[in-house]
Amino acid sequence: MKQKIIFILLIVTAISGNAQNKKGFAFFTDRDVYVSGETLLAKIYNPTDNSSRIVYMDLVNPSGTRISGASIEIKNNEADGFLQLPDSLSTGAYMLRVYSKNTAEKLKTIREIWISNRFEGLEKTKQLKRITKTEEIQEENTRQINIEGIDPKYPTNSRVAANIRIDGNLLKEIDGNLLVSVAQTDPSFKSESFIWTYDQGKEGLTEKKGIILSGTIIDKKTSFPASGATVYLTIPDSLPGFQYYQTQNDGRFYFQMDKYYGSIQAFVQCFGNTPTQRLKINMDELFAEPGTLPEYSEWPISEEFKSNSIRNMDAVTFQKIFDQNTLKFEATPMKTHDDYPYYGNPTNIVDPQLFIDLPNFTEISRELLPGVRFRNYNNEPTLQVINAATRSYFTELPLILIDGIPIRNLNAIKDMGTKDIRRVDICQSERYYGNLRFPGIVALYTTKADYSHIPDSDQFIRLKLETTQIQAKLAEPDKSEPDVPDLRQVFYWNPSVEPQESLSIKISTSSILGQFSLVVRGRLKNGSLISAKKQFEVK
Amino acid sequence: MTLKITNILVLFMVWSFAQIVFAQEPTNHSLDSQKIKGVRQLPYPSYTGFPFLTDTWRLGKIEFTNGEISDSLYLRYSSFKDELIYYNKAITTQINIDKASLNGFVFTDSDGRNRVFRKQYFDNFMKGDRFFEILSTGETSLLAYRKVSLTTTPAYNDERGILKNMIYDPDYQFYFYSPEKGYTLVRINQASLLSKFDKLSLKPIKKLLRKSKIKIGGEEIFIQAWQAIEKEGYKVVF
Repeated sequence: MKQKIIFILLIVTAISGNAQNKKGFAFFTDRDVYVSGETLLAKIYNPTDNSSRIVYMDLVNPSGTRISGASIEIKNNEADGFLQLPDSLSTGAYMLRVYSKNTAEKLKTIREIWISNRFEGLEKTKQLKRITKTEEIQEENTRQINIEGIDPKYPTNSRVAANIRIDGNLLKEIDGNLLVSVAQTDPSFKSESFIWTYDQGKEGLTEKKGIILSGTIIDKKTSFPASGATVYLTIPDSLPGFQYYQTQNDGRFYFQMDKYYGSIQAFVQCFGNTPTQRLKINMDELFAEPGTLPEYSEWPISEEFKSNSIRNMDAVTFQKIFDQNTLKFEATPMKTHDDYPYYGNPTNIVDPQLFIDLPNFTEISRELLPGVRFRNYNNEPTLQVINAATRSYFTELPLILIDGIPIRNLNAIKDMGTKDIRRVDICQSERYYGNLRFPGIVALYTTKADYSHIPDSDQFIRLKLETTQIQAKLAEPDKSEPDVPDLRQVFYWNPSVEPQESLSIKISTSSILGQFSLVVRGRLKNGSLISAKKQFEVK
Repeated sequence: MTLKITNILVLFMVWSFAQIVFAQEPTNHSLDSQKIKGVRQLPYPSYTGFPFLTDTWRLGKIEFTNGEISDSLYLRYSSFKDELIYYNKAITTQINIDKASLNGFVFTDSDGRNRVFRKQYFDNFMKGDRFFEILSTGETSLLAYRKVSLTTTPAYNDERGILKNMIYDPDYQFYFYSPEKGYTLVRINQASLLSKFDKLSLKPIKKLLRKSKIKIGGEEIFIQAWQAIEKEGYKVVF
């Protein structure tokens, strides 16, 4: 019997042990030292057991505050992204963290970088803050990758041709693409990536298809999660995007944002079971909480580091003046657009501006809108739409939209005149969208389209969301204006190099002086990381 | 005592395994499925005949224009209006799905047969999108437009004694269809089938049908005959 107990205990230990023994993200940046206003390029290798399609990359200051970030799409277990470093950052050490949300394994990978403010300089900075070594992500320097054709020194603005030879045996072991980069290095500040465990993990869905927006609906009277509330998400566009969610006992709601890229505006609304029910929307934090932070130690600042940084600050300022772009953006992936609005093809489309000026919506509905009855007796407005199939008016309030956003307070439209309304779509039928029923639809599109007519409340939240990052690649140097100096610190960045026995890289140096490195990085099928490096100087 | 300990350990093991597997994974299918758009289905006027293709609701799936699939739906095709109706169990409503939102649909008939319908633009008389049943696919497809028309008949009393003069009259139309060449109408008989081929092919086709012992007498045999002819490489003349 004792043997049986020991056996079961062993199985339990093995299972729990297996859950902990997983590798985090492998995370690389183009450089370790930046100037505020620059663009940071990143390559992330996703752990094979992470089923999320999104990896978050956040820039965090030493006190744990998230400054900016990006949500990057994982393709073939790899993610290539960038981060625009704000101009306003003060000089100092910062932390980059990458993680996926709600994964069973709560691991982040962190990486330290140095950012110098190009207006502030390094005068006030006496020491360098560095993360005290924790669980470092090991990278093996391999001899099976040979970098040939690189001289120790090159003049400025000269051509460099390198050849990368990869051993046939290694080639078979490489998993996915290689990262090849040629960028400036600072020997006095070399950063590393560390594994950092989440301390707080949120409940939610794994983002298998894309970013998920989530939150909880609270009944304001009871302060408990509201069950049966309907939550709307509207994303204004030429055809408004719309999703809804009906809450369960936990009051939770989720919206899938997989079809959106870049910066978008979103509106979240909730409606209770009865018109009198007062609700509140509590949105979940979109990004990881600071949690426990790594410890920092102070290091002396070298003269070489200071002079390099000052030179780079001037270069970045110059690049900004001449509007030199580091990145070339790729086209946004095609959204699978609907052919018509979610509320259906309108029965009537009316352009009120084609008619005589009318001062309010009562007049507009009476004179211009077929099958729409708007009355404002005793300052209590009502709106009804005719059901064309039965030739009778619906008794309930139709779905009313202002610039695609549903509203239920008719006071928001009662004073709208023909000058305010660009177009009115009317659906004279009992429409359905999933389980939602709309007894007729009146969709108003305003001339200003600034959503100023939409009344604010606890049941309505406006969001500016950074959805999945649009892919970008390093821009080629602009040779059209030879008088403008080339001040690139990154000569080459290709995070998706298909492994081959021989790879040729052709680059040109810029006017920037200093140490540069050609680095080849990759991941093997067993999960270990490999790299090969060749250093040269531009004099 | 030891048995109790073993039971506790087994329960703990199951619990810890469940924690690992299901950690952070509340499932929600409504997130993945595209929402069906449509209008309430209003009853058709009652006449002799039947406006629907099937007697009962059939379990099937629909494909949206963006390629997404929504399955396990109770579907019914209205031959009268060329519309697809589904029964929304959650709100107990019959909804007429917007044709513009669909690519097609599939349902399993009472005989276990999968019936596949595809929305296609019909560019002949009465232009517009129509749901065609795919009877045979290939370079040239054989399609059926399962139309039921409301036709005028001599006056009759229905089962409730009301005087009426209209009936639902099946008016199925069959077409050979090629994306390049379009549609050509064909009737379910041998003469019509043979008329779709050039004169030189007629003799060998007749021989083929004779050898294969195919005598066209209905839809199923017609499909069989067409498939045999197509297999031999004969092309329909549009």
